[in-house]
Amino acid sequence: MANLNIDSVKDRTFDAIVIGSGMSGGWAAKEFTDKGLKILILERGRDVKHIKDYPTTNMYPWEFEHRGEMPMAVQEANPIVNRCYAFGEDAAHFFVKDKEHPYVQEKPFDWIRGYQVGGKSLLWARQTQRWSEFDFEGPARDGFAVDWPIRYKDIAPWYSYVEKFAGISGNKDGLAELPDGEFLPAFPLNSVETYFSQHVKSKYSNRHVISARCAHLSKPNQIHLDQGRVQCQERTLCQRGCPFGGYFSANASTIPWALKSGHCTLRPFSVVESIIYDEKLGKATGVRIVDTNTKETIEYYAQIIFVNAAALNTNLVLLNSTSNRFPNGLGNDSGVLGKYVAFHNYSAHIGAEYDGFKEWTTDGRNPAGGGYIPRFRNVYKQETNFLRGYASGFSAYRYQQRSWDGVGSSLKDNLVKDDLSGWKVGSHMMGETIPKDSNYVALDKTLKDQWGIPQLKISVEYDDNDEKMKKDYVEQLTEMFTTAGFTNIKASTDNRAPGLDIHEMGGARMGNDPKTSVLNKWNQMHAVKNVFVTDGACMTSTSCQNPSLTYMAFTARAVDYAVSEMKKGNI
Amino acid sequence: MHRRTVIKNLALIIGGAALLPACMQEKGKASIALKNVEISADQEKLIGDMAETIIPKTNTPGAKDLNLHLFVLKMLDDCYKKADQQAFISGMAQFTDAVKKKYDNSFAGLSVKQREEMLLSIEKDKDPKSISISAELKTFYGIVKGQTVNGYTNSRYFMTKRVIYELVPGRYNAHFPYKQKQAV
Repeated sequence: MANLNIDSVKDRTFDAIVIGSGMSGGWAAKEFTDKGLKILILERGRDVKHIKDYPTTNMYPWEFEHRGEMPMAVQEANPIVNRCYAFGEDAAHFFVKDKEHPYVQEKPFDWIRGYQVGGKSLLWARQTQRWSEFDFEGPARDGFAVDWPIRYKDIAPWYSYVEKFAGISGNKDGLAELPDGEFLPAFPLNSVETYFSQHVKSKYSNRHVISARCAHLSKPNQIHLDQGRVQCQERTLCQRGCPFGGYFSANASTIPWALKSGHCTLRPFSVVESIIYDEKLGKATGVRIVDTNTKETIEYYAQIIFVNAAALNTNLVLLNSTSNRFPNGLGNDSGVLGKYVAFHNYSAHIGAEYDGFKEWTTDGRNPAGGGYIPRFRNVYKQETNFLRGYASGFSAYRYQQRSWDGVGSSLKDNLVKDDLSGWKVGSHMMGETIPKDSNYVALDKTLKDQWGIPQLKISVEYDDNDEKMKKDYVEQLTEMFTTAGFTNIKASTDNRAPGLDIHEMGGARMGNDPKTSVLNKWNQMHAVKNVFVTDGACMTSTSCQNPSLTYMAFTARAVDYAVSEMKKGNI
Repeated sequence: MHRRTVIKNLALIIGGAALLPACMQEKGKASIALKNVEISADQEKLIGDMAETIIPKTNTPGAKDLNLHLFVLKMLDDCYKKADQQAFISGMAQFTDAVKKKYDNSFAGLSVKQREEMLLSIEKDKDPKSISISAELKTFYGIVKGQTVNGYTNSRYFMTKRVIYELVPGRYNAHFPYKQKQAV
């Protein structure tokens, strides 16, 4: 912890500043400190220390005042965050409440945030899939957004690099559309998931149901034990913070690793107001923060600045960093900063029953959640009336369906009776959305937050491509379920606002051409060479994989480049 | 008659310790602090009797032993919309009237069989348009019933002695014979 009373510039000067301590910021901190740099991590929220600050992690269901349910007053005061599946009595303290950081919804957008050390890496669904060549070539092939300035071969070694440290469980499935990685043993599919996998394989040449790949230590290696993490205990209470470090979070892994170096300062309660740009030097010199406790404005200086504030807040910081040189936001010569925001379409689900395998069930809990169906639409060529495609979750389960009917001793007997249901199966879609000029975030011209920083105005919506894709998901999964002999098939779609997927991306996209993009192929600003963006804001397109693993890989790769450039005297 | 008296006395003895704070409470008010609904001591007793009818003491603990009626009140106060809380209060008055009309007695004065019969007559009416049992009465009964069972199945007793809850399973067996599971 920096001594805040010392006011000298020297004490506020570091080799690098990392804005944000979550999924990607934690990686930046680890990589910089591993390379010997003296760094400052700025976090807008409070500190959350691994284990010590997980107050609910070892609580039994009966120890929660409302047995897990959120009180109505909290639900009514927080319509946005209350829509998030993980906002319950056990994890609500890790979510931003609606009034804590207001924003303007020009169109409905559920902005789900975690303002604390570790950010949303405490709360994520831990699904980790690599992108493939088909994903990076997508915009160029299909004529949307701009061409990605990299291809799979550029990022592949960095996927391997971060996977080994984070710990990813999975099978080597040998699929071109979902490249294999450095895997710990997979959590296996259960009887009906396996049956469905075999059925799909026999009926479709290009469709696969595989064990979901996830950031859990199914069998830790020495590098994980060195982080103080041990084997996943299959609690599936991950959103509370894991005392075993069984899943990857910045809190359990990268942040304590960076702090252990002795040359990393972590400063919580620090909202970044803007990045300071020096016109004479032609580069950024530091960061201006507001201390959320004292409301004091303080400047910190560094040679390299990494912006990892989470996709939309990164846009907010950059848009608010104005100067004579950059009147419309830092590095925004192109005018695309804040634009081409996209997300994932999670608005369709399907459920059914299967009348077989009654002699089999499962024992314990599956942290991976079941199976994963990689994108099979428009992979090798355009074949539908919509662009791109969707991945799907798939899981099968049985549950105790004990009857609550009646009263008295017969009810008591029913509540302990073994009454296992038959197999139920379920799937949800994860669709790619197309980044567009009209889906954007901007600074509100009048409204400010409690720190005097403009509020973010969000204007993002679905389009016709999303509707067509949703329809296709329902049709295709219905067909796959029907031919598998599943019964009572029920598809449902919802009208959720964008944002609830918590996969918002873009706004400061990568590209080859400085006229149409903000960042180059190294996640480095075209116009400000010592500023890098490696969180979701950098994404040129979204594909349909869960994005965190790709942010980790981008971050490690960008730090490696930034430090080598610094050593060469280029930044 | 004899059985009821025994149950009553037993409940008094076992529940005595838990009820102690009630001696110091403001006369006529519920024994726990509530923010959004007003519940009298008599009403609390009614909900306690209903909860005990739903989850009676047998050779294992019942609703009163586990203070489930206080959990019902807590959940009513904290986790329901205003409209549901109002319906609960109206439904509770209707319930008292209906008992009086049907048995010419209070719920507390009924035999266990009559109490069960009364509750089941509401529960069995699944028709939302039914006029014999009002929407408020159904809401009242639904909350008492639902939260009593919720409180019971999520109680420490139930989760350690009846259907064991594992905080740390430490395993995932994807293929597990159902027969072996039943044997556990």
